[in-house]
This record gives sequence, structure tokens and C-alpha cells, in this order.
Amino acid sequence: MRKSPDLPYILLFLSPALILVGVFVYVAVLWNIYISFTDWRGLLPSYRFVGLLQYRQLFHDPVFWTSLKNNILLLLLFVPGSILMGLLLAIMLDRRIRFESGFRTIYALPFALSFVVTATLWAWMYDPSSGVLNTLFGKLHLEFLKSRWITDPKIAMYCIIIALIWQFSGYTMIIYLAGIRSIPVDHYEAAVIDGASTWQLYRYVVIPQLVKPTLSAFVVLMVFSLKAFDFIWVLTRGGPGTSTFILAVQMYKETFAKTNFAYGAAIATILLLMALAVVLPYLYWSYRGEEE
Amino acid sequence: MKVKPLRILMYAVLIFLAFGYLLPIWSAVTTSTKTGEQVALTTPIQLVLPPYFGAYKIAFESLKRPIINSLVFTTLATIFSTALGSLAGFTLAKLLRGSVSKKLLILITFGVFLPYQSILIPLVRLISRLGLYNTIPGLVLTHTAYGIPITTLLFTNYYYEIPDELVEAAKVDGASAAGIYTKIILPLSMPAFVVTAIYQFTSIWNDYLFGVVLTRGEEAMPATVMLANLKGSFVANWNVQMAGALMVALPTLIIMIALGKYLIRGYTSGAVKG
Repeated sequence: MRKSPDLPYILLFLSPALILVGVFVYVAVLWNIYISFTDWRGLLPSYRFVGLLQYRQLFHDPVFWTSLKNNILLLLLFVPGSILMGLLLAIMLDRRIRFESGFRTIYALPFALSFVVTATLWAWMYDPSSGVLNTLFGKLHLEFLKSRWITDPKIAMYCIIIALIWQFSGYTMIIYLAGIRSIPVDHYEAAVIDGASTWQLYRYVVIPQLVKPTLSAFVVLMVFSLKAFDFIWVLTRGGPGTSTFILAVQMYKETFAKTNFAYGAAIATILLLMALAVVLPYLYWSYRGEEE
Repeated sequence: MKVKPLRILMYAVLIFLAFGYLLPIWSAVTTSTKTGEQVALTTPIQLVLPPYFGAYKIAFESLKRPIINSLVFTTLATIFSTALGSLAGFTLAKLLRGSVSKKLLILITFGVFLPYQSILIPLVRLISRLGLYNTIPGLVLTHTAYGIPITTLLFTNYYYEIPDELVEAAKVDGASAAGIYTKIILPLSMPAFVVTAIYQFTSIWNDYLFGVVLTRGEEAMPATVMLANLKGSFVANWNVQMAGALMVALPTLIIMIALGKYLIRGYTSGAVKG
């Protein structure tokens, strides 16, 4: 860096951000990793180094495998589900629809709400006795659709996934609408002049331009699916039993309910590694792309 | 325009989905305006008139203090994280160049993707050590710190679009970096401030995780945390729960409906530009 009269200002303007991020992100992450190698149990911190003990226990913990399985279920169903739903909504809204902004607001509304709010609303939707869905199906004489929803361990996780798609497809819709609308008009015109059908227009003009928004939506949703704690915690507390545990729920329970801090820190470290596996290639790809 | 069957189908799908998306919110509105007896006797989608507001009164009793808490720390943390993000963004986009700037930006914005579980235990320790556990300043500090990655990203992207020539010309005229920031950048970045502040206000208001681990008792408890407690304590009183949920949702719903396009710009500017 050349010495410039700007240097004092650079330090002045950048240091609050760098210090806060340095301490709250980087120091905290390293601190957490260190805790995962200790035997800290109970409210008083213990920093006695015990190596990989917590991780070995974790790999023998059936709850860990349940949580991991549910995290993978979120990755396989919630992430593509939100993306496809958002893409479908965006494509339909882009076809010169009347009341477009009204529809758009309705679909995007859930995304503006806090998870605690949406979890409360869905608790009422899924309430097995007098809740919205079962009452509605009863009135419509669709008794066979009635279910125990979130109180049935076999389907509780799927109920959560549906509610999360409800909340997040508004986000992906917004991303895709912005993506579709940023395609230059002459691309469309050229394709139309060449006699492209609507299908071909999407296949060869629109969809290829949506790679970047899709990738960022993927990363955002994947990282989110790792930490989708608030919604699940408020809706089911991870239950019935441990059927809706994800790693973030297990981490919270071990740490703050059982004060098993080192164990919680180990789960948190695994979550971090999973997030890094998604984010680092993405950051590499997106910043390289910018330099070209 | 000719009416094509495909278009009719599309409208049918859009309307059907709109009902589906609104159903949870609609049933919350109807349920929150009923007495307990009416909740039991009617279906959740039936609207009973005249509305009964007793459930709102009960929910408000518990939520009053937490809502004030949330308004205070959300506003302060929004102001601080937006201001610091703007300063950092200006520095990264206009004062520093090349690879140093890129590397610092990646370093700062990594926090956007951080799963907060992986800093939770140290965060609680840190805030307790600073004597800020269960205080509004503790929440302000936490939300400011974790807001900086996204605000810096939003402002840096915005400032990249402001032509360098403007800054260079001011430098030739002898303006300092502080002068350039206050005289040129600030007036030009009002749209970015609006977008970022709205985005930050919404996300901080909606947070639950930091609130639940950093507070205990009423003094600093956020509205989202109290709402979750309400859900735990009034298991059968769905009208009170729904009233509480709608009250906590109100600020972000207003923002979404009134300022939706700015909020949306916040969501997309990261994603579309990469």
C-alpha cells in the first residue's frame, strides 16, 4: 500500500468494523473451537484440554445422527423446494399479470415475519384438535386429509419443511423476479425475431441468465437450513421426542438446557465446518468472477 | 388480448396459491378477534363480527415492555450498524483499491454466512464479562457487530457504482477523505441508507436467538422472546397467542407493505450482483 494522506481516515473509518467483526466473528469462532476440545460441563467454565473426546462421544450419540439426518432432509427438500416454488412464482408473475404487485406482496409477506411469529401461526395451523387444517378438512368433508401433523414423529419434520417453504419461497421469488427483469430486452427481442417459442425463450434465454441468482439463493438457503433453529425450537422444541432435532437445536439443548458447554461447542464446530463447505467455494467463485 | 386457456390456468394457480399463502395470516387475524368461547365454536377461518379485542389486551399486558425493549435496541443497532457499514463500505470501495480491499471485504462479509451457533457460547461469555448480560446495550452491541458484515457488503456494492472520477476530482481540489465522504458520498448514498436501514431494522426486530441467550426476565427481553414464552404459557388460548403474534409482526408487516420495494432491494442487491 502506498503511503497516502488517506491513511489516517482509512484506519479511522475501517477500524470499528474490523475490530467488531474481528472479536465477534473470528475470535469467537476460534474460542468456540477451543471450547470443543475441553471438558467444560456445568456453569463454571473449565478449559482443561481433552482432545477429541467430545467429537468421539458425538459420533456415538444417536441424537446426533437424527439431527444430521434432519439437516440433510432440509437440504434435500427445503432448499430445492423453496427454489422451485420461487422460480414458478417469479415466472408466472413475469407474464404480465394483473394485480402483479398485489400477488407479489402476498407471496413475499411471510418472509418479512419473524420465525417466532410464523412458528406461532403454524402451531395453530397444525394443532391436531381444533387447529386450522384439521377443522378445514373436516368442513370440506376431506376427513382422510386430517392428521396429527407436528405431534406425529413420522411426519413432523415434513410439516416443518412445508412451513419453511411457505416462508422462504417469497425470498427466492424476489431474487428470481429481479434476475429475470435484469435480462436486457434485446435478448428477448432477438429470440422472438428468431421465432423462439415461449418454452424456448425460457429454456435458452431466461434460465441460463438465472445461474447466478440460483447459486446465491442456494448458498443462502443452505446456510439457513443449517441454523434454522428459531422456527423449529418455537414450534416443536425438537419434538415429539427428538424427531425434529437438527444440529442447531441439539447444540442449543446441550449448551443451555444441559449446560454441557464443550459438547455444544463441538456440535457448533461441526455446523461451522458444514457452512464453510458451502460458503468458501461460493465466495471463491463469486469474487473470482468479479475480477475477470 | 385474446384469452388463452393457459392464462386462465395461470390465474387460477396464482389465486389458489395466494389463498394458501394468506391462510395462516388470515386465520391468525380471525382467531385473535374472538373470545375463547367463539374460538371453540367457530372454525378458524370464520370472521366473527363485531370483533372482540380482549385477547389483544391480555397479550399486550405481557408484550408491552418487551415491545418497547425491541423498539429501542432495534433502532439503536440499526443506526450503528448502518453508519459503520457505510464508513467501511466507503473505505473499501473508494479509499482502498485492489486486492487489499477485496481481501478485507471477504474477511468482513464472511460473517453474513456464519452459523451463529458457532459463536454462541463465546458471545454469551463475552457479553457477561462486559457486564452487559440482560441489558439493552448488550443487545445493541451484539446486533451492531453481527450487522456489520451485511451492511458493509450492501454499501460497498453501492459505492462501487459511484464513479471514481467524482472522488478523484474532489481530491485534486484538495478535499480530504472525510470531506469527500460528507460532501459527496453521503448526499449520494441516501437510497443505500434507506435500503440498509430497513433491512437491518427488519432482521434485528425478527431475531430470536441472540435475544433468548442474552436476556433473562423483563428488563431487556425482546418481543420475539416474550412471544415464544406466551406460546409456552397459554397453550390453549389461541386467541391470545394469535393476537400476540400479530402485534410482534406488525412493525415488519408495515415495513413490508409500505416500503416493500426498498426491503426487496436489500434482499436482492446481495444476490443478483453476487
